[in-house]
Amino acid sequence: MTNTWYFTLFFAAALIFAGILGLLLRRNLIKLFIAIEVIAKGISLLLLGTGFAKDNILVAQTLVVTFIVVEVSLVATALALIINIARQTKSLDIRKLARLKG
Amino acid sequence: MIVQTALLIGLVLFSVLAILLRDLLKSAISLAAASLFLGIIFFRMNAPYAGVFEISVVAGLITVLFILTIALTKAGDEVRESRVVNWVFPLFFIAFIIIDALVMKGLLRKIPALASGAETGTFGDVLWKGRTFDLVGQIAVILAGVFAVLALFRKGDKHD
Repeated sequence: MTNTWYFTLFFAAALIFAGILGLLLRRNLIKLFIAIEVIAKGISLLLLGTGFAKDNILVAQTLVVTFIVVEVSLVATALALIINIARQTKSLDIRKLARLKG
Repeated sequence: MIVQTALLIGLVLFSVLAILLRDLLKSAISLAAASLFLGIIFFRMNAPYAGVFEISVVAGLITVLFILTIALTKAGDEVRESRVVNWVFPLFFIAFIIIDALVMKGLLRKIPALASGAETGTFGDVLWKGRTFDLVGQIAVILAGVFAVLALFRKGDKHD
């Protein structure tokens, strides 16, 4: 049982690290948000993998469902923000946001 | 175990592809495929409700939202990405995978496992009775999201 837990932890850590690397290296706003989504997938896997290993799958499931609901709300708000930013700056480049004044 | 491993590798592979691919539409579809793999993993871990949510909401709704955003911002998608990404990302990722494998193999085995206890009841019991406050939080978050989207897409006043 613990072997499968560590196995899940291994893949969840890989997903979270891939997402962090994407956040650090990419410049497109939508790409940055896709990287955040990848991190969210890693966290979901971590929650459910731990619940599965500890025989607490029901609590883990409710936490994952709550997490997904929060994630959807976050995605809707962030994508609305991205659309507004794209309309204002005519670009999706994160570097152009740093130049904004006033 | 082999099927589980294949599914987990597929999940990581499609997630990495979603970050690495240059085309935004292909990235969004890769993310949906990764969600599909995660949903199947959830089903195999005896968590059907989480699996259904993952596949229907994350692989379905969020992908639609991403594709809609890509379509709406088509005019401004010419972002010059850094050239180092193509070799820095795989390099660091492979290095991390090696460190990750060593840590999981060596260090974590020495950490004593947390106490675990089998739980009783059904998913409904746990969700409605055990995590009632979470539901209140979920409703609050959904309402906050709705109001945020309404505020962001509000028609401009004459003052603007």
